[in-house]
Amino acid sequence: MKVFYYLLASLIFIQSCKKADPVIPVQQELITTIIFELIPQNGGPSVTMSFQDLDGDGGLQPTITGGVLAANTAYFGKLTLLNESALPVDSTNKDILEENLAHQFFFKASNGLDLSVIYDDFDDNNQPIGLSNTVETGVPSSGKLTVTLRHEPNKSGTGVSTGDITNAGGETDIEVDFDVQIK
Amino acid sequence: MREEKRILKSTLMCKSNKIFLTLFLIFLSCSKLFAQECNLTLKGQVMDESTNTPLSFATIFLENKEKGFSADENGVFEINKLCADSTHLRISHISCETQTEYLVIKRDTTVVFFLHHHEELMNEVIVHGDKGEVSTQTSVTIDHDLIQKSSNKNLADILENIAGVSALRTGSGISKPIVDGMYGNRIAILNNGIAQAGQQWGNDHAPEIDPFVADHISVVKGVSALAYNGNSLGAIILVEPDDIKKEPHLHGNINYIFQSNGLGNTLNGSVQQDKKLLSWRFTGTLKGIGDLRAPDYFLTNTGKKEADFAAQFERKINTQWKAKIFLSSFNTRLGILKGSQIGNLTDLNQAFTRSEPFYTEPNFTYKIESPAQQVNHQLVKLTADYNYSKESKLEFTYSGQLNARKEFDVRRGGRSNIPALSLNQYTHFGDVANNYTFKNGGFLKSGIQVNYVNNTNNPETGILPLIPDYIGLKSSVYSFYQLDNNKFFYEAGARYDHQYLNVVEISRTLANTIDRFTHNFNNYSFSSGIKYQNKYLKWSLNAGYALRSPEINELYSFGLHQGVSSLEIGNNQLQTEKSLKITTGIDLTFNNKLFVQFLGYIQEINDYIFLRPQLEPQLTIRGAFPVFIYDQTKAGIEGIDLLVSLEPVKKFRLIGKMALLKGENKSDNIPLVYMPPANFTLSGNLALADLGILKSNSINLNMKTVAKQRNLLPDQDFLATPAGYTILNFNYDSQFSLKGKLVKMSLKCENLLNKNYRDYLDRQRYYADAMGINFSLWLNYKF
Repeated sequence: MKVFYYLLASLIFIQSCKKADPVIPVQQELITTIIFELIPQNGGPSVTMSFQDLDGDGGLQPTITGGVLAANTAYFGKLTLLNESALPVDSTNKDILEENLAHQFFFKASNGLDLSVIYDDFDDNNQPIGLSNTVETGVPSSGKLTVTLRHEPNKSGTGVSTGDITNAGGETDIEVDFDVQIK
Repeated sequence: MREEKRILKSTLMCKSNKIFLTLFLIFLSCSKLFAQECNLTLKGQVMDESTNTPLSFATIFLENKEKGFSADENGVFEINKLCADSTHLRISHISCETQTEYLVIKRDTTVVFFLHHHEELMNEVIVHGDKGEVSTQTSVTIDHDLIQKSSNKNLADILENIAGVSALRTGSGISKPIVDGMYGNRIAILNNGIAQAGQQWGNDHAPEIDPFVADHISVVKGVSALAYNGNSLGAIILVEPDDIKKEPHLHGNINYIFQSNGLGNTLNGSVQQDKKLLSWRFTGTLKGIGDLRAPDYFLTNTGKKEADFAAQFERKINTQWKAKIFLSSFNTRLGILKGSQIGNLTDLNQAFTRSEPFYTEPNFTYKIESPAQQVNHQLVKLTADYNYSKESKLEFTYSGQLNARKEFDVRRGGRSNIPALSLNQYTHFGDVANNYTFKNGGFLKSGIQVNYVNNTNNPETGILPLIPDYIGLKSSVYSFYQLDNNKFFYEAGARYDHQYLNVVEISRTLANTIDRFTHNFNNYSFSSGIKYQNKYLKWSLNAGYALRSPEINELYSFGLHQGVSSLEIGNNQLQTEKSLKITTGIDLTFNNKLFVQFLGYIQEINDYIFLRPQLEPQLTIRGAFPVFIYDQTKAGIEGIDLLVSLEPVKKFRLIGKMALLKGENKSDNIPLVYMPPANFTLSGNLALADLGILKSNSINLNMKTVAKQRNLLPDQDFLATPAGYTILNFNYDSQFSLKGKLVKMSLKCENLLNKNYRDYLDRQRYYADAMGINFSLWLNYKF
């Protein structure tokens, strides 16, 4: 019986009761930052809106910067997705372009905000992606512009290719609201 | 010539430990052997194990003569003109489990066989065989045939046959048991006496046990539960293989189950032999099930692949020492409904409105893609029993477990093959227990236990882990005393656990620092009970006070749970839960015609740990998520379980089961979540006459009704609780002889009317209907 005790005791104490330091995983897939750069097609000051949440889900609240756009103006829109928790800073744009069939952005202006977005880039099946786009503003107004990125959407669903998210399905990778004013 | 009488008592439960406990060989006289004359007589009687009444017209089949004999209406049989020989006997009776026995006939012999009649009347002493495993509190057991018949399913699905047990599901493939409102961390599951170690904290983590290994599965409540390691506030579920049968020949079993829904194939085989040097048994199981189907569509990506293996060795070293080794390996890959992979609340709300889940494919496939789980669980158990005196026995146990769990999500950038969660857990457990039987029949069991857990996240995921790395060390002592005093049975016991946790957490701050925490918890449990028993009535009363320390997920989880779209945050300030539970049980038996079992319980839990929804959602790049933080409250759970078994006319039996339960968060005056709604089962079983070669025929029609869970506020769930439902199941059982060997079969149809329904306790209900009609065929060949 004693032998058994010793065996047991040694077994337990061979294992330290202090857990070793974990290896911190490299969070390659994380998207911390989305930058929406808008350059007027006929010259003028460009506008940059952004959403930044460096510590990922939970923790600190994200920093969101909206934008003030000129009325009745067409802008070249360019979306940049970054993982700023990685060093060097990693761009998610290349993942999206590589898997272009499995990604699509959707843009929705809240009621009252007079703004529309047109796709300028297309996937291998000639369906829209949305990293490059044209933003056209109308009369002065204000509201929210919601930018959504869907992973594995049904791109052939009714209205999806024209930017209607209703039948897109898929999994949401990004859903951020920007406060927009049109002056 | 003088005659030798031999009385052999045997049960029909395929449990050799029981058989040999109840096996009495009484040599009344001796005689000289005149074997060559072939004029020996085998006489005997077939009796009902639970009621001690004769079983009329039972059949006794002698394998060496390939001939069957029938008993008379008093279960008495006499077979003459036998030669001295050894033979296997098969004893069968309508609605009984057929029993095989090995008999050496050298002289005129008299035998009494005790057959197991029907499961509701199963005698605890016979099931558990041993003192210290019987308790004052009602414990319910599922027997061998039912386990084998339904082992294409999960353990929790099989347990649902017991009144008061429900299953918490993630689709049809993943389920864990809920007993009297307790689940997850609050109940312990013991595989062959060893607390199943694994990441049991997740509601989508099913216990990694192959039910085929079990001879019987029981739900044990009461004092004897104190002997088991496990942080339990409620019941203990025992999955137990039986001892290897004392049979010198090689014997085995082959089971095959086909299921039409999911075109599933389950194959299981086991072989065993009792040799002087070593008794051994090997069991192996293979399962392959494809996409299941709801009545209107395929449940895409709900297939399952499983390969399990177990080995058991027993050796009686001398009259004092006995050693056993048990090894098991459980390996599975499970698909999770593709349409339940969602990113945020918008997706979830959209999923609710769909008539069929997103990503539903029009065709069936066996392929399993992300989201999926891959689980490997290895167990080794060594036990040695030392009978150092007539009254005392020491039991030494060591067990080691290794649990590797990987969960795969649909990920971006070709990462779907990299797990999103990858955990390795190993456990060492040691137990020394002393059994002592007093002169007055009292029984004292005392023991000490040490349990070491080491849980490590694999950084391959590229995701900050949901559960931190940790080491847990638990040291325990326990003791309980039982006294069987004629009609009364008393018991009382106590247990103390010291739980130490050493946790290393990766902080969620920008710099990702490593933070260290230690916890020390002291858990005390006390339990006592009394039972009165006579021919018609069994009444028991049991009271228990138990403490449960918070588990790692309750203290430290941080992250999004896939498929539920909420942020779950641990709370490392949590205190131990304190539970007081009073249970009373009444069993009434009338003449084997009527059997009533009632169980009522009231449980008060102080500092009940639960997920409290927060007012402010958390804003993330994927949108806003509801936040749940672990918190404590005063909770109360009360309920009743009822079983009525009635034989109104011969060969026909009606069985009704009911479970009612209410759980309240008493501090906030709101209901508890995930409490099983009221459920009822009514089944009729009709034994039929033999049809040609088909013997022991019976049909069973079963109706299961689950009511809507009304005891929940609308803001406690993402969606209103689903409507109640009723489903019908049909079963036909039979057996026949194939070249002198017994083949059992069962044809089953579940959800006979192919009804669309969703179950409150199934987390897949947000996305899809439950499984539709399913035919299955079970074949069992014994050799």
